[in-house]
Amino acid sequence: MDKEKIRNFSIIAHIDHGKSTLADRILELTGAVSKREMKDQLLDSMDLERERGITIKLNAVKLNYKGYTINLIDTPGHVDFSYEVSRSLAACEGAILVVDASQGIEAQTLANLYLALDNDLKIIPVINKIDLPNANIPKVKQELIDVLGFREEEIILCSAKTGEGVQDILDAVIERIPSPLNLEKEKTRALIFDSYYDAYRGVVLLVKVVEGKIKVGSNIKMMATGSTYLVTELGVKTPKEELVSELKSGEVGFISASIKDISTINVGDTITTTDNEANLPLEGYKEMKPMVFSGLFPTEPNKFDDLREAIEKLKLNDAALKYEPETSEALGFGFRVGFLGLLHMDVIMSRLEREFNLNIIATSPSVVYHIYLTDGTSLIIDSPNKMPDQVKINYIEEPYILTNIISPSEYIGSIMELCQNKRGIYKSVDYLDPTRVNIHYEIPLSEIVYDFYDKLKSYTKGYASFDYELIGYKVSNLVKMDILLNGEVIDALSIIVHKDFAYSKGKSIVTKLQKLIPRQMFQIPIQASIGSKIIARENISALRKNVLAKCYGGDVSRKKKLLEAQKEGKKKMKMVGSVEVPQEAFLAILSEE
Amino acid sequence: MATSVYIHIPFCKKICSYCDFCKFIYNEKWVGAYLTALRNEIKDRYMDEEINTLYIGGGTPSSLSISELKRLFNILKLFHYSPNIEFTFECNIEDINSDLLTILKEGGVNRLSIGIESFNKNNLAFMERNADFKDAKMKMKLCRNLGFNNINLDLMYALPNEKMADLKKDLNYILKLNPEHISTYSLILEPHTKAYINETSYASEELDYKMYLYICKTLDNANHYELSNFAIPGYESKHNLVYWNNEEYYGFGLGASGYIDGIRYTNTRSFKKYLLGDVVKEKELVNKTEQMKYEVILGLRKLKGINKKDFQKKYNISIHEAFDLKKLIKNKDLIEKKEYIYINPDKLYVMNEILARII
Repeated sequence: MDKEKIRNFSIIAHIDHGKSTLADRILELTGAVSKREMKDQLLDSMDLERERGITIKLNAVKLNYKGYTINLIDTPGHVDFSYEVSRSLAACEGAILVVDASQGIEAQTLANLYLALDNDLKIIPVINKIDLPNANIPKVKQELIDVLGFREEEIILCSAKTGEGVQDILDAVIERIPSPLNLEKEKTRALIFDSYYDAYRGVVLLVKVVEGKIKVGSNIKMMATGSTYLVTELGVKTPKEELVSELKSGEVGFISASIKDISTINVGDTITTTDNEANLPLEGYKEMKPMVFSGLFPTEPNKFDDLREAIEKLKLNDAALKYEPETSEALGFGFRVGFLGLLHMDVIMSRLEREFNLNIIATSPSVVYHIYLTDGTSLIIDSPNKMPDQVKINYIEEPYILTNIISPSEYIGSIMELCQNKRGIYKSVDYLDPTRVNIHYEIPLSEIVYDFYDKLKSYTKGYASFDYELIGYKVSNLVKMDILLNGEVIDALSIIVHKDFAYSKGKSIVTKLQKLIPRQMFQIPIQASIGSKIIARENISALRKNVLAKCYGGDVSRKKKLLEAQKEGKKKMKMVGSVEVPQEAFLAILSEE
Repeated sequence: MATSVYIHIPFCKKICSYCDFCKFIYNEKWVGAYLTALRNEIKDRYMDEEINTLYIGGGTPSSLSISELKRLFNILKLFHYSPNIEFTFECNIEDINSDLLTILKEGGVNRLSIGIESFNKNNLAFMERNADFKDAKMKMKLCRNLGFNNINLDLMYALPNEKMADLKKDLNYILKLNPEHISTYSLILEPHTKAYINETSYASEELDYKMYLYICKTLDNANHYELSNFAIPGYESKHNLVYWNNEEYYGFGLGASGYIDGIRYTNTRSFKKYLLGDVVKEKELVNKTEQMKYEVILGLRKLKGINKKDFQKKYNISIHEAFDLKKLIKNKDLIEKKEYIYINPDKLYVMNEILARII
């Protein structure tokens, strides 16, 4: 294949701006999928998109258009995952930026665009959904010009729904996006941008060959881990799998090499071949650092190994997932897992539950703190339980973010109030046009981790979109707050809070726990403390009555069923000391209401 | 092999607001047909064992007319009674008169279970029942005179808006009637009852519990032998102990349940099906594991608890091997003393919490 005739590109967009529909339309137009099949595909991917992201089906599709090979590399999963977008973009030379003609630029439009620019990609701006009655093409066009700096003639109008303009987009892909560099004679280097586990083939790698080539029978080496494997199968997806004998520089495809040991594979790693071995791995793929950490514990202690296996499998196509074993006095053996954000945590939690059938308790998420001690040394902690004694601490720094909150201007007041309540520092308000603003605040990341996003949505009736970037660490007056149940500190419930907010937070947590923890056979005091000082207290009064008053011959079977149901209910609880605590109590600390 | 029999008479003159037993308003035509079907069921299933306990319950068995009762007792001749059979008949206090009592006596009844439930006006209005202390006293006397010396009275408490003082009065009245046995229940709102549909609310748990404690304390001369049952020693209900000892028993009649040859069965509640002989609605074959669960659920209702040796003999495994009781014993939820394991009397009123941890 002539390198000049290859194009690698992605589609990036804010959620619901029409990315998937456009991808489907492109598949149809290039004849990769017939119109009849298309419908099936659409239905499938809708379900899948919800369950596990579109990743599996549409990850890297090889298409033919006007004599060119174009590889559409999907930005998998939810667009909120900027890291996912970033790793797909690393395999591209260009990207289509889709903006909804009725919505205009949203927070993730910006975030994704910046990522694409970081990867040095050629951007093709597209205004989608021009067929909608409330489309405002001139306004959105003006935003693209004013806010993002595109030229008017660059912008393509389309309706992915009707197909209008899709051909123009494909033409622009060929004309504007550069071909991959011809580096076939160099040392072999290929980027792993995704992977998944196949029950028959083991780990399957999705790669873009950047330099050199890989053949069936090649010995490949993972540069980060040093493991080597014999390639048994190479292929491309069209979107059906099609086997090939080699992948050359510029090409995108999948490799299977009977890889059973999941731990040797890192998404973002570079593959080389032993007969043409490179010395240095590829650059340009930034390792994403998790920002939010939480302890994940199986509700049933004997499920620890199942949890380990599940997390390992998830990590295969989720390079951002970091984990290490953790032990909690209250919850037993589990893992401290690092996530990129709360949504990421949410997705992992529900995948563990749905795909692996595990009942998980997650402890309240923590960010990474920098602790400076009085003796001049410092340490980095990702869990409240690693916090040293207060007297040894000189000061603590916590991560701050800068917000992009794009919203109709009428909500400025409530958004500012929300940011203020979250310890935000006002920076600026930019007007995108007379009715829409981008509000910038510096806010501690730990405040976002709680219920910021939900609150923002409710304060603005769902109109605001939100994104952020990490801007570094600032000194904060922070303390560790413990929660005591029945007089015992429950390590899994400890959190780090700002001193000024400690009292109200402590009070709201104990009140909430009082409601969430069912009454038991004895009275349970719930306390919040800082050091040895109790700052809030509630009691759960003892259960007085839980009995079947009457039980004679006719009632026996039914009463047994009732008791068995009660027993099932208990399974969803965790014994913490002598207290039965429901799963949701561990996350109670998350939201304030 | 079962040596106990329960017979259900599903007729009442009036329906109480809280009752979820299988019952119909009394109707002469139906009773005739019912007794015929009942006779057929007994003939079909009874295996000629000698019967130690017989219990006629309802519904309201005392709602039947004298001639119907005569017919019923005729049917009961199908059974072989053991010489010291305990034969209980449930009566509504309003139905008691010398004719009724005579016929019961002739039929071999030697224990009466009389539903009084309360003398309090508000309670009675809620329950849609009648009772009057003077009348009750007179009727008890009649029972005594006709030779009934084993009588149970039912008392309900924790009814909506009931106060502690109301219970104290009720219990006092009941004691003045000198029964050999008292069954007490706090109100349970079961679906498909008038009280439930009317969205009746329970008394507060705290009050309910205090009332229970008061009853236990007041009746501390009696043998508190089961969660809700008190008796002068020697007058414990043998029939009901069969249930709590997880022993087998026949259940005959509409909606009745039985436990025969390792199978727990429940009869249909459909009158029509029953008359047509389509009697059994559900069957559960109880394997050993389930049998042991029943043993615990039922056995721990008795204050004496479960006899460890008997358990071992019955199931060929010790109760400690069958269930993990260590923690509960350590917590003093259960008490292990000599040959018995029982629920700590202080925790009897939250026994579901304990049972759910065992099974």
